[in-house]
Amino acid sequence: MDAFVFYISGVLSVVAAALVVTRKNPVHGTIYLVLFFLLVSLDYLILRAPFLAIIQVLVYAGAILVLFLFVIMLLNLSEEELRESTSTTRKGFAGILSAGLFGLLSWGILRSPTVRNMGDLAAPVTSPTLAKAGETEAIGQALFTTHALAFEFSSILILVAILGAIYLTKKRKQTSSAPSQTSLTGLESQEEAGQKHAPADGARLEKRLA
Amino acid sequence: MTLSLSFCLHLSAAIFSIGVYGVLTRSNLIVILMSLEIMLNAVNLSLVAFGRAFLTDLTRDPSGPQVFVIMVLAVAAAEAAVGLSILLAVYRKWRTTNAGEIDLLKG
Repeated sequence: MDAFVFYISGVLSVVAAALVVTRKNPVHGTIYLVLFFLLVSLDYLILRAPFLAIIQVLVYAGAILVLFLFVIMLLNLSEEELRESTSTTRKGFAGILSAGLFGLLSWGILRSPTVRNMGDLAAPVTSPTLAKAGETEAIGQALFTTHALAFEFSSILILVAILGAIYLTKKRKQTSSAPSQTSLTGLESQEEAGQKHAPADGARLEKRLA
Repeated sequence: MTLSLSFCLHLSAAIFSIGVYGVLTRSNLIVILMSLEIMLNAVNLSLVAFGRAFLTDLTRDPSGPQVFVIMVLAVAAAEAAVGLSILLAVYRKWRTTNAGEIDLLKG
């Protein structure tokens, strides 16, 4: 029964991932991404990782996707801005490349004797300590004893990410003639003098106002 | 009905390839970031499958693979936060989210 559910949710998650990648509207893509994350969390449950299944729903479906939706709605892109012009040659090339990647991975998986001789993953675990390996208690123990260093480093990583996100999204005062400009903004103003981006910007702004 | 490790790994490989296809074909930066999340999830799925497969009495650290997945999750969250704020900064400056139009470094 577990294996059957896994097969169904596996096929559905591939379909959901394909829909995320191909939808034109990013909002539709995000909704399919929710479906994809929920299906993957179901797979985690069957593979005896209940804690990860909950964390998947909380962190991915709850936090990261809300962030995506929030940014999409903040940008409020118009139909014209969403239009993409990917050539058929490029799509075909990317299709061949990713199919080739899948073929290569599949070949590697199929020729490995370790993978071939592995038993049933949906079977119940006999040892009671091993059966608890995916539960909150065991993961907490491992996280704060064996993997304490990695845990501390990941907290530093998240701190840096928070600082970076705040710095990048902070509104800075537009002082175009100030002498304390960084070299990057200097380059930008040079380019605007070269009339590369400025007319397109103006046209787009007029279109938005109209 | 049995569930083989081979099927889990094939599933993971298929999802990863779909993510690669998305990164290669789409030019909307939001969708590219979503494809990256799909690829990270594919890797997580294979990690969990391996962790379940090697859950024997000889395993010294049975929760290890799942701790690894939590680390990947932390990196994914950090990546999404920084990536989306870069996207916002880029949109503020150039009024576009199209990866093809952001070509300041192009010679």
